Amino acid sequence: MSTREIHKPAVKADLALLERARLQYEVEQFLYEEAALLDAQKYQEWLELVAEDIHYWMPIRRTVTRSDIAHEFTKPGDMAFFDDDRSLLEMRVKKLMASSAWSEDPPSRSRHFVSNVRIVEVSGDEVTIDVCFHLHRTRLNSEIDSWTGRRTDVLRRHVSSFRLARRHIFLDQTVILAKNMSTLF
Amino acid sequence: MNVEAPVAVDGWDESSIKRLFDTDTGWLDRRVHSDEALYRLEMERIFARGWNFMCHESQIPNAGDYFINYIGEDQVIVVRDERGQVNVLLNTCRHRGNALCRAERGNAKSFVCSYHGWNYGLDGRLIGVPGHKTYYRDALDRERLGLARVAKVENYLGFYFATLDADACSLHDYLGDVGRTGIGMLCAFGDVEVVDGIQKNVIDCNWKIAVDNLFDWYHVMYSHASANTAGFVELSKVLFPQNQMVMLGEYGHAISGPGLPKEMQNQINSLSHAERIEMAKALDHPLPRVRPHRASEIMGPEGVRSMGHPNIFPNLWITLEGLQMCLRLPRGPKHTELWWFTIVPKSASPDARRRMVQMATHLFGPAGLLEQDDGENWSQSTRACTGFAGRELGEFLAMGLGQDKVTTGENGQRYVETCINEHGQRWFYRAWREWMTGRDWSHIQKSTAIVNETV
Repeated sequence: MSTREIHKPAVKADLALLERARLQYEVEQFLYEEAALLDAQKYQEWLELVAEDIHYWMPIRRTVTRSDIAHEFTKPGDMAFFDDDRSLLEMRVKKLMASSAWSEDPPSRSRHFVSNVRIVEVSGDEVTIDVCFHLHRTRLNSEIDSWTGRRTDVLRRHVSSFRLARRHIFLDQTVILAKNMSTLF
Repeated sequence: MNVEAPVAVDGWDESSIKRLFDTDTGWLDRRVHSDEALYRLEMERIFARGWNFMCHESQIPNAGDYFINYIGEDQVIVVRDERGQVNVLLNTCRHRGNALCRAERGNAKSFVCSYHGWNYGLDGRLIGVPGHKTYYRDALDRERLGLARVAKVENYLGFYFATLDADACSLHDYLGDVGRTGIGMLCAFGDVEVVDGIQKNVIDCNWKIAVDNLFDWYHVMYSHASANTAGFVELSKVLFPQNQMVMLGEYGHAISGPGLPKEMQNQINSLSHAERIEMAKALDHPLPRVRPHRASEIMGPEGVRSMGHPNIFPNLWITLEGLQMCLRLPRGPKHTELWWFTIVPKSASPDARRRMVQMATHLFGPAGLLEQDDGENWSQSTRACTGFAGRELGEFLAMGLGQDKVTTGENGQRYVETCINEHGQRWFYRAWREWMTGRDWSHIQKSTAIVNETV
């Protein structure tokens, strides 16, 4: 086997890997950018990253036995904590910016961490990803809320970046250990 | 259950508890929202005696279906057995006290303790003990070691309640006209079912602040102004500050909030079913506020006009914005769990159901556009009850005091028609005082019966 023959498939593999790495990079950059806007409370700019047909959903999680695990989360159409389309998200943003949004004035301090980013499907101009998140919020002088969970997001190609077309949030809490969820995940 | 009220418990005796709320002035002592000893007395005198909401029949349709709830701080299993009967059992093994159910809902053939394997039937009977012959040497009286059952379980229109007190009156009598009107509000559009998913969250506030707030239509315009600004609700269209209707009931139940003027209800009464549907459509609300004929039968001719908030004493709020019930479960004097149950008429079209579920999701619950702002008010109000100087200041519940007449309407239903007021809050704390000092059921019943013509 010549040297050339050995190297050829490896180069091909590298190109595919580079493509995947490039997509991974683009996706992560989008997620970081979006998280930074939320942490900076630039909600209007965050909305610009949201697609017209978004489904922003956080079902209710229950403590169930292993044999009943199919009922752990509520299903679409049943009760949820968030079940929003774009107009609802616009209302949430308008509310957050209102001078009378008492639950966020003085504003909470939030930090959105995103990790374990896995690309699960690329279909046409849409990328489905599965990520872990940690949303840490402190409020007033001594209040701390800490929410971790898993998200499945759908990012849709838009010009040189993406638009968020779906965000399904699976929180690691059953009883929400906070007095409200006045923030965005 | 009779309590020894004259004996001071943790320093609280009958007269010192009575002084905590002055019905003549509306001053409420802030210690009711922070004192540990009062909280422990509440567990015994209010939660262990009163009827507590457990769940709706639709949540446990089949044999073995169970739902975990609480009576005060006692965790209970609400379970349907093989005969179809609903049992409410304390979720604690008779051997060492371990919890039988650790899931919050599910289906079980029996309840097996994870500690030593004691096994209980759906009716609570002890049916299996590992080592019964070999280690206990057949000397165990299994009959006596079934799961502890609550004293009584009864339902009204499919809503199950339980009490730990064998002396408690029937659920029907406990609810009385006002409580039955309140539950009737949920069933006014026909038989109902609970939508899958109970929203639960913890707020660092006293449970009574969360309860009295539901009567408070004064805070809506200010606390919830941002939901209005956001375009989510048009508060002026739901508030009707000059058309408030209050119903005060035995045992401390009350309904407070907007009420349709009598003339408007008379107009509705003259409409046919089809005409009512047309009128409701024109109002473009997920739950039309034009109630069908059947509503008058279960809410009464006056109660049917109420668009307000009932509270079934002590801690069950009913709201008709999305047809929901919210339990305010005490977790110590400074914490409360809120559990939201969402209800839809079984006959609702898929579209109507979808709209009702959406409304319920977006209105209340921890992410609800209205409720987000309540928690901070309640937690900061609770916090202020512990300061040495602050707790001496009291809370002021005097709005409308002594200024409104009680009217007795058709069927003997009694109500107050007025502007925004604090009658409901005063009624709640007045009843709280009686429950905390009342020695027996007849005392509580008599002391919470409305005798005054003015409130």
